[in-house]
Amino acid sequence: MNSKVISNSIFRCIIYVIVFILFIFMLSALANIIWKGVGGLVQSIASQEIQFAIRLSLLTSVTSTLICLVFALPVAYGLERFKIPGRKLINVILNIPLALPPLVSGVALLLLFASTPFGAKLAEHGLRFVFSVNGIILAQFFIITPYMVRVLKSTFADIDPRLEFVARTLGCSQWQAFYKITLPIAKNGIIAGLVISWSRAIGEFGCALMIAGATRMVTETLPVALYLNMSIGNLEMAMASATCLIIISIISLFIFEILEGNHSRISRIN
Amino acid sequence: MINIRNVYKQLGDFSLKNINLSIDDNEYYVLVGPTGAGKTVILEIISGMYKPDSGNVWINGRNVTSEYPEERHIGFVYQDYMLFPNLDVRENITFALKLQKIPQKSMNEKLEEITAMLNIKDLLERHPATLSGGEQQRVALARALIAEPKVLLLDEPLSALDPQSKELFQQDLKSIHHKTKTTTIHITHDFNEAYILADRIGVMCSGELVQTGTPFEVFQRPTSQFVAEFLGMENIYSGEVVNGSKVQLIRIGSVSISGITNLKGKVRVAIRPEDIIISREKFSSSARNTLNSRIIKIVSQGPFVKLILDAGITLAVLVTKQALEEMDLKVGQSVWAIFKSTAVHIF
Repeated sequence: MNSKVISNSIFRCIIYVIVFILFIFMLSALANIIWKGVGGLVQSIASQEIQFAIRLSLLTSVTSTLICLVFALPVAYGLERFKIPGRKLINVILNIPLALPPLVSGVALLLLFASTPFGAKLAEHGLRFVFSVNGIILAQFFIITPYMVRVLKSTFADIDPRLEFVARTLGCSQWQAFYKITLPIAKNGIIAGLVISWSRAIGEFGCALMIAGATRMVTETLPVALYLNMSIGNLEMAMASATCLIIISIISLFIFEILEGNHSRISRIN
Repeated sequence: MINIRNVYKQLGDFSLKNINLSIDDNEYYVLVGPTGAGKTVILEIISGMYKPDSGNVWINGRNVTSEYPEERHIGFVYQDYMLFPNLDVRENITFALKLQKIPQKSMNEKLEEITAMLNIKDLLERHPATLSGGEQQRVALARALIAEPKVLLLDEPLSALDPQSKELFQQDLKSIHHKTKTTTIHITHDFNEAYILADRIGVMCSGELVQTGTPFEVFQRPTSQFVAEFLGMENIYSGEVVNGSKVQLIRIGSVSISGITNLKGKVRVAIRPEDIIISREKFSSSARNTLNSRIIKIVSQGPFVKLILDAGITLAVLVTKQALEEMDLKVGQSVWAIFKSTAVHIF
């Protein structure tokens, strides 16, 4: 009996310690940046370069997130509700960018848009992606769409298809049933998807670097500003960019947690 | 009028086999059967959720087999209600009318009428999640009825309710059908429910429709062992018809009983426990069957007592508690089991 009590205590102790170690590690890393960044933050934000980076980051991330929604909504709904032929394969392909290093995604995009007739044709019509702001948006879109599709798919999966069916027996077309019933019920999931995708988009670096490059005051988003200033040893500016990114991440994570609801259960067994 | 002709449907391991069914205008038709018999699939085929693999569905003389659910004018009520959680009760009920862009005035009149009929006037501003099961079911029914559907499909509407709400709602279903005369198909696994509500009953088993008829017909003359067992018949035996006059002798093992049938050879025999009379002394009566037997078990079942008798065959008999006490019946006693030839169901 006594040995059971001791073994339970040891087990619990180990778990507590590991949780604590990881927490301290993460916290100190983040706190350190903010600590160093906050000092010069006001001054750095006043600088033209950081202001440009903030503006460009907001512009590109909001644009890419909205375009992403336009695609992800029908794709997630279609894959969840319709028997689209080859939907398993489509699902796998759509998920690949999640597992791919962003640099590889960037190279893939660069090759597609820089060295194929398709890319050349688009460039001819004024849609240039290589070394341009369009490229940043494209890179962000490529990286975040799989996330959005995943979140929306699980949102739609949680909505009973019989609700739409009942709506149809009451006279709705498929579109009306989607628009009047499923979409309003999915609202929270959609907002959660938007927030998590947007926060990924604003932090996107590797993929955008390959296709859009890192040119000061041209394709300089916050992560690029961090990278450029770090490489020339301007720590204050680098920390300021990092702090902006951390604050954005914390806020969006917070919103996401609230919207998704806390499903975790704490054991009530002693 | 609903006609289902030669409908087959394969869904995973389950298959619906050659369903032929016709339901008259204004009829209240109840499909009974155990879970997994395919009752819900039939409703979903009538409503257009699934297309049958073969065969077709006719509603009021129109072949609707390839029509969308929204073209069929059907009211569908699920066991778990399926109220729209993003709308309040009023918006749920008026959903179909708003789609039809019905003027506000006549919409309010209809809403008034339907909520009065279902006694849910006080719930209009509430949200579905705050309602009890019985209330949600009433709202779901109101939502289906307000559009004046040609057919009302009810998928186990009483199964999820507590006994009291169930009783009330059952009475309401009956009186609403009396008023609206909407052709209704109601699914249940509870035969009592079917008996109370149905004009006609269809019994389903493993994807097949095994018997149809009025509740009385099905109850009195089950055509198969499955139906007999499903209806709670307990005394079911295999026997053989031995002679050929009007009243026949059926031999079950060492026991012979008389019953009425046109069948010959090997048959199944069923006798309802409540159709058997118990007597301490043998007496002569018009009942053709009198079996000497011994009480081997007494099982209490609420106000009734079930006696298990050994009469050469094992016989279950239902008597009241009062009868048990007055007759002073005990295990091991010898009694006479008496029943009429017409109480012997042969199939």
